[in-house]
Amino acid sequence: MTTTTPTRPAARTIYPTKKVTNPVLTAVIRHALIICFLVIMLYPVIWMVAASFKPENEIFNGLGLFASRFTLENYASGWSAGSLNFSRYFMNSFLVTVLSIAGNLVACSITAYAFARLEFPFKKFLFALLLGTMLLPSQVTMVPQYILFNQLEWINTYLPLVVPHWFGVDAFFIFLMVQFIRTLPRELDESARIDGCGHFRIFSRIILPLAMPAIGTTAMFTFINTWNDFLGPLLYLNRTELWTVPLGLSAFLDATSESAFGPLFAMSVLSLAPIVGFFIVSQRLLLEGVATTGLK
Amino acid sequence: MKLQRATFLAGATAAALLLSACGGGTGANSGPAADVPGADGKGEVKGDIAAAWWGGTSRIELTNKVIDMFIAENPGVTVDRQSADFAKYFDKLNVQAASKDLPCVVQLQGRQINDYTKRNVLLPLDPMVESGAIDIADIPKAVVDAGRGTDGKLYFLPYGAAYDAVGVNTTLAEQAGVGTLSEGYDWPEFISYLSKAQEKMPDGVNASNNGGGRPNYFIGWTQANGKKLFNDEGKLGFEKSDLTEYWKMWEDLRQKGVTVTPQQSSEEPTAPDQSYLAHGQVMSDTLPGNAFTPASKTLSGAAPGQALTTLPYPSGPSGSGNALYPSGFAVSANCQNIPTAAAFINYFTNDLEAGKTFASDNGAATNTKVLDAQIADPSMSATKKHELETYKKIVSEDPPTIVFPAGYQSVFENSFKRAYEEVAFGRMSVDQAADKFFDEANAKLGQ
Repeated sequence: MTTTTPTRPAARTIYPTKKVTNPVLTAVIRHALIICFLVIMLYPVIWMVAASFKPENEIFNGLGLFASRFTLENYASGWSAGSLNFSRYFMNSFLVTVLSIAGNLVACSITAYAFARLEFPFKKFLFALLLGTMLLPSQVTMVPQYILFNQLEWINTYLPLVVPHWFGVDAFFIFLMVQFIRTLPRELDESARIDGCGHFRIFSRIILPLAMPAIGTTAMFTFINTWNDFLGPLLYLNRTELWTVPLGLSAFLDATSESAFGPLFAMSVLSLAPIVGFFIVSQRLLLEGVATTGLK
Repeated sequence: MKLQRATFLAGATAAALLLSACGGGTGANSGPAADVPGADGKGEVKGDIAAAWWGGTSRIELTNKVIDMFIAENPGVTVDRQSADFAKYFDKLNVQAASKDLPCVVQLQGRQINDYTKRNVLLPLDPMVESGAIDIADIPKAVVDAGRGTDGKLYFLPYGAAYDAVGVNTTLAEQAGVGTLSEGYDWPEFISYLSKAQEKMPDGVNASNNGGGRPNYFIGWTQANGKKLFNDEGKLGFEKSDLTEYWKMWEDLRQKGVTVTPQQSSEEPTAPDQSYLAHGQVMSDTLPGNAFTPASKTLSGAAPGQALTTLPYPSGPSGSGNALYPSGFAVSANCQNIPTAAAFINYFTNDLEAGKTFASDNGAATNTKVLDAQIADPSMSATKKHELETYKKIVSEDPPTIVFPAGYQSVFENSFKRAYEEVAFGRMSVDQAADKFFDEANAKLGQ
């Protein structure tokens, strides 16, 4: 939004040579375009929200947002579908997610501190090994993991979904934090050392508070990954009272019989709410993290 | 839906690789031996078993009810229940099979059974039938035979038989003045019926969906014309010229505008209750018999006032073109509690009360006594009754039994659809596509 002056050189020819002078008009046009794009990109989500309020047999009658009548019965029948209801699935999902986030934050930050600040034998090799695990597709480790957890008799518990996070298996987040901690000035560590701090205090008083953006990013992505994880719960949780939200959602679908699309969309809308909420709360931290850690 | 299929494929392929890797260690012939104690299913019915099946919320509830009844009749038995939607179910099953941790009782169909028998992860049920632990007296032979593997042994006991039918929108057919197809109609009659109906279809409605890429339609066509689908080695048993004849028949209809365009075909949702037929956009399509009720329900919302019916597949010189696709329970080779597993399978399939509770939720009840009781039940909906009666008719005409080789579901079904799409989109001639399909299918089938 600059006020144009006639003395400005009109050198660029690919753009219209005569500048629109009215700043209000340019602002209106620009915002109209942005809003159009926003609507196009959000339309599938908007459609899903609208579909959750449609009577069940009218859901797939087109791309429109309105049906013959507005109804809340999808929410009522979806919430109490099956022998259990969705409050149970939400509780389970929250439990798994919170434990996973806690595990990831503790394990990844400690490991990252070690790789970024400590000197120990085979450090380079171990770091390369860690990064190497990122190249392993999860399908490769799926069966061995299943056998292992089965031998430990962890099937039908949350342990296979939670415990790995406490051992820093998410190499990506460790890498993210290592890169972030490396950018922090070492002088801060040294001054803390002069004041008599050991590694634990340097870590907890200096590094952790400064690494908040990276920690926020890790928490956010762990939240999304765990909340949306389907295959893990599918493999390890058999009893319906242990099911997480994605498993509950999937039970609305039945390719060999009748799918309950109305309740499916209604519960999908509800299952998005925590993610959106978490994002709004941690947005500032997250954006800062993305900007300062050079992610993407 | 598309995505689900893609992930299923990826999962199935990955698991197939893993399975074959594991198979190497155990040796091909060291399958489950018959001298395992209790392999005949005789013994005390108590202790834990795990049972797995596919389905959504309503089937989970029905199955749970039956399991609870089974437990009430057999004190001391507990059942760990595992369920997921069809594609996800097999993702999970494949991991469990590769880990030698299959549930004792697993639900399978003929279309996949040999993927598992080939890797020796299932027990043959014949000893249990001989010992009387499992009763097959009231199940028609053609249906029981659908549970056999390529080695001729019985691997799963069909409890519910699905079949494919021709779904016809009777309202549209009447408007077009073509009426209904006569009993025992054949393919040429069916084709001319569709062509005639197209002349009077409303704008944007086609007389038929495109059946060129539908494996089940093709299976029906081969059975009616006396062709063999697979040979004894598990490779394709029909000739290339059969396939080109079948595809040319559909191409002819497509070019005349009787069927939907290939663009429409590729955009169609795969769930039968969301198909074009269920939305009144086509007058006829192949429809799984058990999708008749949900599809009718969708149609009542999408095009109020229109009605559907289902007919058996067209016949031919070799008789009925209706193959049966039963689902049933198998017993895994790693099962430690075979007597209970056998008792459960027998109860689920043959018990009158269990059948009444389950209400043919996954194909018509195969036990004829259970089936008759359901048809006579006044609380059964009219559409469901029609589904069961159509099944009864099909089964009385001695339907063909097809043994599907290993790899059928992951290889045949997908290659078939893809090859026909190449033709419909004009990227290949019918002959080229047939060559491509034969190469792909024969390379991987039976392995």
